[in-house]
Parts: sequence; structure tokens; C-alpha cells
Amino acid sequence: MNKDNKFYLGLDIGSISTKGVIIDKDDNIIAQSYLWTEGDPINAVKKVIEELKESLGKEVKIVGVGTTGSARELIGTIFNATVIKNEITAHAIGTLKFHPDVRTIFEIGGQDSKIIIIDNGIVVDYAMNTLCVAGTGSFLSSQAKRLAIPVEEFGDYALRSKKPSKIAGRCTVFAESDLVHKIQMGHTREDIIAGLCDSIVNNYLNNVGKGKNIEMPIVFQGGVSKNIGVLKSFEKITNSEVIVDEYGHLMGAIGVAILAKQSDKEIDFDFEIKDLNFRTSGFECGGCPNNCEIVCVLQGNKILDAWGNRCEIGREKALAKYKQ
Amino acid sequence: MEKIKIGLPRALLYHKYHIFWEDFLNRLGFEVIVSPETNKEILKKGVSLAIDESCLSLKIYLGHIDWLLSRVDYVFIPRIVSLEKKEALCTKFMALGDIARNTFKKEIKTIEYTIDIIEKQWEIFGILKAFSKFEKNPFKIILAYRAAKKLERETEEVKIQKQFTQIKEADNEKPTVLILSHPYTTYDALLGKPIVEFLKKQELSLIYADIVPKKEAMELSKNISRDLYWTYNKELLGAIEYYKDKIDGIVFLMVFPCGPDALVVNLCQHKIKNVPITVITLDELEGDAGLKTRLESFADILKIKKIQDGKRK
Repeated sequence: MNKDNKFYLGLDIGSISTKGVIIDKDDNIIAQSYLWTEGDPINAVKKVIEELKESLGKEVKIVGVGTTGSARELIGTIFNATVIKNEITAHAIGTLKFHPDVRTIFEIGGQDSKIIIIDNGIVVDYAMNTLCVAGTGSFLSSQAKRLAIPVEEFGDYALRSKKPSKIAGRCTVFAESDLVHKIQMGHTREDIIAGLCDSIVNNYLNNVGKGKNIEMPIVFQGGVSKNIGVLKSFEKITNSEVIVDEYGHLMGAIGVAILAKQSDKEIDFDFEIKDLNFRTSGFECGGCPNNCEIVCVLQGNKILDAWGNRCEIGREKALAKYKQ
Repeated sequence: MEKIKIGLPRALLYHKYHIFWEDFLNRLGFEVIVSPETNKEILKKGVSLAIDESCLSLKIYLGHIDWLLSRVDYVFIPRIVSLEKKEALCTKFMALGDIARNTFKKEIKTIEYTIDIIEKQWEIFGILKAFSKFEKNPFKIILAYRAAKKLERETEEVKIQKQFTQIKEADNEKPTVLILSHPYTTYDALLGKPIVEFLKKQELSLIYADIVPKKEAMELSKNISRDLYWTYNKELLGAIEYYKDKIDGIVFLMVFPCGPDALVVNLCQHKIKNVPITVITLDELEGDAGLKTRLESFADILKIKKIQDGKRK
């Protein structure tokens, strides 16, 4: 093995799934992994690293680690990441690698939906859903449960529909009552599911995509992009071609791995890190009326970092709590 | 004789007029007590006191009054109805005194006066009337008023000059961002301050929309809208026009639910095309993960754009 070959690890830890890739110095993907987060990001990442190691089948020298996704800080701290980056930048960088001419990125994940507008290879605008999760993956899967159809088959049902039902997509609660009403009225499940797909797309375009200049080429990513029904609705409603590619779900991880490569920092990453014992522990500071919730990240009994504090008191308390 | 204690809630218009208010009251020989920076306890108290529909800033205001009650003799609550002809302020500024008295009933004693330019009720008349029971000599009140107004003007001017210097000396690689929000949002320890601090850490140079030559800003606001009649929102819009060639982006901080801001946000998004804007809506719910992602990526966009623009030049 050539010792000079340097590799980079990108981790994207989302609310629903955790993604990991290893790229070489030319941005080729040499290993990838995709698992459910299952509410335990630390373990999910350990499993991802395990999988990556197995699929490599040989020793490689990883000199950069990047993290993104909602647990990026936690995982970044634990695995000593060289780059911790938000999902929007990471997704844009990753997508530009595969589609250098992309103008618009639609991304619908488990709890987030985003739109990223790119001009001449740089991000010029973006928007993200706020508190409301209507029209995201978790909305789809809860409706799937109600209809007793596996969410994976949703797309095929939608495609069979000739006349999609009209379903209010403004709010999950209203959509749900609308959906129940349509079932009682005798609409077929195919029509209802196709209607749901349309309502997700309309909701997305009216909320997240409001006022945005949507230009082709459009790339659609995130877990929901695997749903052919939603994809077809997007194409129908925007009246444009929408690209979904096989690496769509890995774009964030790839992007952050590229960013790790571009950074000047280098570390010596050890796969054995997955066997170490990490945990988190929280407490309420109580140092002032703000009573911040402090989260401490621990390796064994050693504190690696703490956050959630608004002022230094919280940090000092955390350090004192786990003093050796 | 012990000094009479007058309380100023550190909320709403305090952030705009505190120099004048504090100096004026001190000159008349009162002891001025200001409530502390907003903390979660004040917020919690305010939320429990206010009706549901009122905006977060008003809820916080009531929390501050509650903190003051046991510590002061009077709470100072001017009623500001209009500051310019054909313009108006949000109704909460007209109703503050009534809301406070209605919420705290007999527990509260207030000092109130009305400013309503449309009805020819100028500030000095209101002040003379309100303070006549404390100071028999009206000339002393007028002198204190003038001196305090002068200090307010001078302080304002210093702030503006400081911001100008900052813009002039701005780093070529560091994007300049305009913080567009009411002073009671920008400078509140729970609302704007954490965001401002976070943005500073993202290596952005921040300037503030409330620090602007007022007259020019009011004139310039007509470029964006001629019909807008909320004085404070006009000032903000004017600031965009005033600074637009000097900034790389705008962060609009809005408190939920704010009627005027809700309209002005949309107005800005439609009218301002060449400066990136991000809108952050603040409410009493916590959870700042999405917020950080938003601010971070906005900072990224501005930084990358700045570098690219630099290369093109």
C-alpha cells in the first residue's frame, strides 16, 4: 500500500439516518455506509465506521474527518473532526462535485426541508423549514402508517393513480384530517397517496421555495427523493426535469469530506476510536436565572467538551463536575 | 429625604430612549432603577402575565415590570402614539400604560404622559404635566428635558460616527452584515444578543440598522415604500437604503408575532433584489439547532461570495 495516499472521512448525522463516506484525494468514493440513527447518534456513527472499515478491506490512512447534519457538533467533538460544517454548505459542495452546473437543489429529509439556489458554482440563496415539519419524511411515514402501506411502496401506489385527490398540505394536522375525510368519502388509496405527494410538493414550493428563483438543472435529494411519487409530482408541478442520482443520500457526507480535504488541518484518524466508550450527560446549571441546560460529552470519565451554556459559569461548572 | 425611586423596564423602547430617560430623571433628582438584562425567569413571568396573542417583546416587558414592582415607587411608561404627521406606531406603544395598570392593578403606580404629534401633544407638554407633582418649578423640568435631549443627540452622533468608521475600515475579506431589527430585539439579552454574538464568531462585521442618521433614513425609506406609515419600520427600511452599497447581506430579526414586521419582511424580500436577506423569527420556544444552521450557512454564502467578487475585481 502506498503510504502517501491520503483519505478523508465524511460523516452526515441526520435525525433519521447516518451517512458515512471515505474519499481519496481525487474525491472518488472508496467506501460508503448508510444506517438509521435510531435516536443514538454516537452508536450510529460507530456502526458506520465499522461498516466503512469492513468494506474497505484494507488499511487506509485517513487524515481528515468532516461532520455535518444535526448532530455534527457532538460527533465532531468525539471524533476530533477537522471540519464541522452545516448541512447547507456541505450539500452544496457535494452536489457541485457531481453536477457542476446545478442551479437548484431540493432537499427533503426526515425533519428538514431545504432549498439551495446556486449561481456559477456558488450558493447565493437558501431557505429551510422553520418549526413545522409538514411535508417532510416524518410526515410521509406517519401517513403511511395510517394507511398501513410500507412507506417504500408509496411511490408505486402514487404512480398508479389517474386522478390524485386534493389534500390540504399546509399543515400536517389538517392534511391528516383531510386524508381521513377523503378515505371516508371513498377515494382510492392510490388517489389519496398521489394527492399526498402533490400536497408535499405544493407545501414545499409555497413555504420553503417561496419567492425563490427555481432554475434548471434541479437536483432533488434527501430521503424523500427516493420516493418516485414525490419526484413525479415535482416534475409535474414545476414543469421541469428533476434529477435524482444514486449518491443523493450521501451528498452531505461527500461534501463535508471534500471540505475536510480542503482544510489545512491534518489528523491521524484511528479506526479503533469506534471501540472507545463515549457518553453524554446533562445537568441544569443553576448559576443564574437563565438556568441553562448544559450537555457534557465524556470519554470514560474525562470531559471532552460541554455546551448549552450562555455564559462562562456553565462551562466552569461542567469542568468542575468532571474534574479528575 | 430619601429619593423617589423610578423604575425603567429594560425592554421595548428603553433600548431606544434610555439615554434621554435616565438622564432626564436623574437631573430631576429621582433614583433611577433599571431592571436587569432579560433572563429566563423574567421571560417566564412575562409569558404568564401577558395574554396569549401579544408579541414576545410585550411579554418580556411585563416580566420586567414585575421585577421592578417591589423595588420602586413608580414605573415610568410614556405613551407614544405618533412621532410624525401621517405616521403611526404599533398599538402596543399606545397601550403600554393601560396594559400595565390592567395587569398589575393596585400593585403598580405609574408615571405616564402622551406623545401624539398628530393631535399636537408634544412631549414637553406631557412631561410638564406628568412631573408637576414632583417638581413645582416648570423651568427646572424644561432645563432637564433640554439637557437630556442634548445628551441623547450627542450620544447618537457618536454611535453613528463609530459605525461609519467601522464601515470605512472594513476588512476586504470580511463581509459586512446589516442587523435589521428593532432595538428592543437587537439588544435584548435573550432575543438578539445571542444571535449577534454568534454572527460575530462567524467572522462577519456587523452594523446596526438603528444606528443611522434618522432624517436621511426617513427620506430614503420612500425608495422602498412611500405608503408605509409605521415610524420605526420606516427608519429600518431607510437604513437599508442608506447602507445598501456598503453591506454584503442583511439579517432580519423578527419577534413573533409582529404585525408590522410581518408585512415589512415580505416587502423587503420583494423589493431588495441584490443583497441576500435571511429572516430569523424569534419566539419563546427554544431549540436553536435550525437557527444555527441557518446563520452559519448564511455566513458561508456571504464569505464565499465576497471571495469570488474579490477575484473578479
